[in-house]
Amino acid sequence: MSASPASNPKSPDISEKNKKYDRQLRLWGDHGQAALESASVCLINATATGTETLKSLVLAGLGSFTIVDGKIATAEDIGNNFFLPSDCAGESRGRSACRLLLELNPDVRGQHVEQPLERLLDTEPDRLQAFSVVVATELTDSCLSRLSEVLWSHNVPLLVARSYGLVGSIRLQVREHLVVESHPDPDSVVADLRLLQPFPALAAFCDSQQLEAMDRAAHGHTPFLVLLYKALQRWRDEHDGAPPSGYREKKQFKETLQQFRLRTADGVPELEENFDEAERAVNTLLTPPSVPEAVRTLFASQQCNSLTAKSDDFWVLVKALHEYVENEGEGLLPVRGPIPDMFSDSDRYIQLQNIYREEARRGADQVQRRVHLLLESLGRPSDVITEEQVRHFCRNTHALRVFEGTAVQQELRHLRLPANEMAAHLQNPESEMVIYAMLRAAERFRSEYSTAPGAEDDQVETDVIKLKACLSRLLSDWGCQNTIKDDYVQEFCRYGGSELHTVAALIGGCAAHEVIKLVTGQYAPIDNTFIYNGISSSSAVFRL
Amino acid sequence: MEGPADILPSTLKKSVVDAKLLLVGAGGIGCEVLKNLVLSGFKNIEVIDLDTIDVSNLNRQFLFQRQHVGKSKAKVACEAALGFNPSVTLKAHHDSVMSQEYGVNFFKGFTLVLNALDNRAARNHVNRMCLAAQVPLVESGTAGYLGQVTVIKRGVTECYECQPKPAQKTFPGCTIRNTPSEPIHCIVWAKHLFNQLFGEADPDEDVSPDTADPELTGDAAGSAALSEPAREDGNVERVSTRGWAAQNDYEPRKLFRKLFNDDIRYLLTMDKLWQKRRPPTPLDWDTLPDAVAGSSSSSASDSSLSDQRLWPPAECAAVLERAVGRLKEQLAARPAGDHLVWDKDDENGMDFVAACANLRAHCFGIRLNTRFTIKSMAGNIIPAIATTNAIIAAMVVFEAFKLLEGRLDDCKTVYLNRQPNARKRLLVPCVLEKPNPKCYVCAEKPEVTVRLDVSQMKLQALEERVLKAALNMVAPDAELLDGRGTILISSEEGETAANAPRTLAELGVRDGARLRCDDFLQNYELIVNIVNSTELPDGQEFEVVGDASQLQPAAPAPAPADGEAGPSSADAGGSAAANGSGNGAGKATTTVDDDDDLVCLSEGEDGTGTDGEVPTATTTVGTPAAKRPAQSDQGTPPAKKRRALSGSESPEVIEL
Ligand SMILES: [Zn+2]
Repeated sequence: MSASPASNPKSPDISEKNKKYDRQLRLWGDHGQAALESASVCLINATATGTETLKSLVLAGLGSFTIVDGKIATAEDIGNNFFLPSDCAGESRGRSACRLLLELNPDVRGQHVEQPLERLLDTEPDRLQAFSVVVATELTDSCLSRLSEVLWSHNVPLLVARSYGLVGSIRLQVREHLVVESHPDPDSVVADLRLLQPFPALAAFCDSQQLEAMDRAAHGHTPFLVLLYKALQRWRDEHDGAPPSGYREKKQFKETLQQFRLRTADGVPELEENFDEAERAVNTLLTPPSVPEAVRTLFASQQCNSLTAKSDDFWVLVKALHEYVENEGEGLLPVRGPIPDMFSDSDRYIQLQNIYREEARRGADQVQRRVHLLLESLGRPSDVITEEQVRHFCRNTHALRVFEGTAVQQELRHLRLPANEMAAHLQNPESEMVIYAMLRAAERFRSEYSTAPGAEDDQVETDVIKLKACLSRLLSDWGCQNTIKDDYVQEFCRYGGSELHTVAALIGGCAAHEVIKLVTGQYAPIDNTFIYNGISSSSAVFRL
Repeated sequence: MEGPADILPSTLKKSVVDAKLLLVGAGGIGCEVLKNLVLSGFKNIEVIDLDTIDVSNLNRQFLFQRQHVGKSKAKVACEAALGFNPSVTLKAHHDSVMSQEYGVNFFKGFTLVLNALDNRAARNHVNRMCLAAQVPLVESGTAGYLGQVTVIKRGVTECYECQPKPAQKTFPGCTIRNTPSEPIHCIVWAKHLFNQLFGEADPDEDVSPDTADPELTGDAAGSAALSEPAREDGNVERVSTRGWAAQNDYEPRKLFRKLFNDDIRYLLTMDKLWQKRRPPTPLDWDTLPDAVAGSSSSSASDSSLSDQRLWPPAECAAVLERAVGRLKEQLAARPAGDHLVWDKDDENGMDFVAACANLRAHCFGIRLNTRFTIKSMAGNIIPAIATTNAIIAAMVVFEAFKLLEGRLDDCKTVYLNRQPNARKRLLVPCVLEKPNPKCYVCAEKPEVTVRLDVSQMKLQALEERVLKAALNMVAPDAELLDGRGTILISSEEGETAANAPRTLAELGVRDGARLRCDDFLQNYELIVNIVNSTELPDGQEFEVVGDASQLQPAAPAPAPADGEAGPSSADAGGSAAANGSGNGAGKATTTVDDDDDLVCLSEGEDGTGTDGEVPTATTTVGTPAAKRPAQSDQGTPPAKKRRALSGSESPEVIEL
């Protein structure tokens, strides 16, 4: 037990890589970083928005990227894009950007494909299914539609990023995105410490604590969970076994709790912080545990109930979890493990930590057994889902989420929103939906005239009329009247289809953020369209 | 160059070309802002930053690469931006913005100032300089996924200091030296120990048992503190910790014995301290446990990274031994009389603090932490990523555009949320608030009230800890408004040095006294009203109160509302903020290290970093009461309450 420390000098070598990523590891953890490092992202077109997106991903340590771009860099590209060197005019835009982006981080691999996306879609569309995410910029509606179809069929997430003058947008297309760590608002998460239904080890520990026999120091350092347990026992004895429920009873329960406080000779309660903690926890911790709504929805879903050999691991885990809840879990999710900080001596705190951790492990082991059986019945090897994966999953049962997206291809064809709802948005001149409509109209203009509205200085007047016509037709397709002010049409023509670097930087930052969410499986992604309006510094998210 | 500026209205385009900007900070936000400015057509920019480049900057500060580590951020950033566009006039200052060279006239030379700073002291200072120079300021900050941008213009908007910020958490010296009860107390102690042994020794950072602990006063004082205990090494007390270590050639086992055995035994003799506490246990080098109590081997191997694995006490001792050896060599390599500076990113210094903090925690029965977690607490690390900085930097430039167009009315405070809020907004713009007429910085005739004990506080402490540290003056003068104009403090070298060790009472400062304090550099004059008080909470030396009307009869800090925060919530300075007081400083304070992109400082008090959950430094949340959203359909702003969260969740709103 008492090996001389000198004989065991394990070097805590902190690698260069961990130093470099220290500040972000604190956000998404080693497993998030590992996911990022094994991800590969495809960028369609090395525009300012596109390279700004890749920049943030390369800095963060993305595994690899591929730029697909058939264009030659122009002076305007160079003036706008930090990752195009001043002397690259006339050269391949994708190659130049690839080179400068790779300088940012030697850990990242990158390559470029010197052809337009259309050709790739014609000749080898399957090449796209190898990517974790595809980020698309500067595509025509028809090309975007084809890309959307291919990626939808392979279930590869597509992120369409666009900056246009002072406005911009991001559209996420993902058929099904599974999130294990959604990081829900901590206020909305009920800590499940099982005080109302203590498992045997917890009950045994609490029963072993003899409050009456403790000296003052030990009494004042008894973890508040024990105090609540004792008070609950007394309460139940006095109330036919029922726990306190409702505001009034919980208030009375606090009085029961007070009875356990030490008192001075003249009956004044001693200052004991652990009792204060217990009192504060009454409202939150004495709520009967239950399976959260979001998780019950998962249990009821079709993917969970019709597993196939091709089902995502996530669904196998959900199914196993469901079976656990129905059987040995007795209606409850497994204990998650971590316990909150509390006023306690460390011996008992550590004991409690271990009790919960052991219980969490027991639950995870049972889920794992069911995972094995399911994999077996699906004809898959039982080790494709690792023990670590199961534990990670069981620790996050409160945070499981599934996102089902909509296809961009569909969106381009017809409006999902009811016409009256869209009309209501558009009648509000401050609504970001107006920006969405304008962006769609500008794309329609580009499809019809092969140039952006206002791109040529001497055509601005006629382009205003043409763009207005495009807008009217778009709105009539949607069943809406044109209530959008002409100012917007003028403003969009003034942009001439150019990217303003600062907007590209902002949209690129947001897009990279979404890519990180997608590849790490952490946090809820945008559902599904983000519109930024730089004229009013405002933004909104719509589901389209 | 064509393209970018064409989208801007022609009037703005001209202002952009003519504008002269000062960018304060070339870190995470600063690099992004500089790139955006250069690509937006700005022609004349000066950049100031004191820092040099560290490896941990490279995950986001994209103007820097591996070969630049150790070089000036301002210089390398300007060189990189010039490489992109040689026609821009860029000037780099590798210097502190708080240095005397950058006076009001320097600031007056700019059209706009853009802050991309990482610490409150510099933000306060630039705020005052811009108010004095009447130059508009765009202020920004990020913390992890959260960010914020705002605009400050004298007389029109709130200034950076209009709303009291949550006090930075401090700990009474006796808690650190005698009676630690939380991991952070041990970490602070370990950092102080580093300074005592290798760094710049500060008498306020003593690490040996404190015989002047208020708990020992009264009849209890006699038993231990005053009687000389029987100690084998006799007169240790009379030699400084550094001197003692040097005499013993920094022999790790002797150091260990003094710190974790002799000193602990000495503490045990102060029996009054342990009547209600669990007494500490002295440690023996040869019998330290080599496994972490209760953690099974499999959970330890979950993480292969050694800084995310919990070191058992025996391993802490081994790490301590190695770190002391290396630090001793580092110190020896310096010129005589020079010292080391603790840095969370220096491997040996960080190993030393992690090992000592855990050994001390082991003595006191406090839970041990991983090096990874201790680093975030000791270094006040705020997580930082490229994406958030990119978004916020773009917002900075948009606000700058509006200022240049004279559209101050359209400027906003914009918050970046972690995920879209209930109203589906990721970016939440709020209208700029009017100045607080009682602000002790930007009011017409600023006044502030300070509670302190005039018979205890020395003038030197008033200058260093009240005027400089808490009220953020750089080189104050102070005059007592007693009808005679007695000069208490003069910023001229030596003029009032004789006053320094005297108490305020001895110098004629009594309850109700008014001091006129003046900072020439900041062009800032402040009347300080003294309220004598012998009953300050928690061993605090003084308390800054916004204005006298906020002085309530002394009441205990309000307990958190029922169910509002779970039992794990770390109440980091929250109550002070709720009381509306400005800054409180304790006797011995934690050293606050500035990290880049740092938004608000508070020590990280991670809750349950168990089982592989990602521990994150706690960030104090605070938003000026209720911000009005800029749009009618905005719904609730990001948050209205002040509270601290712990665990792996970041708060919704950050404090700039
Ligand atoms: Zn103010």
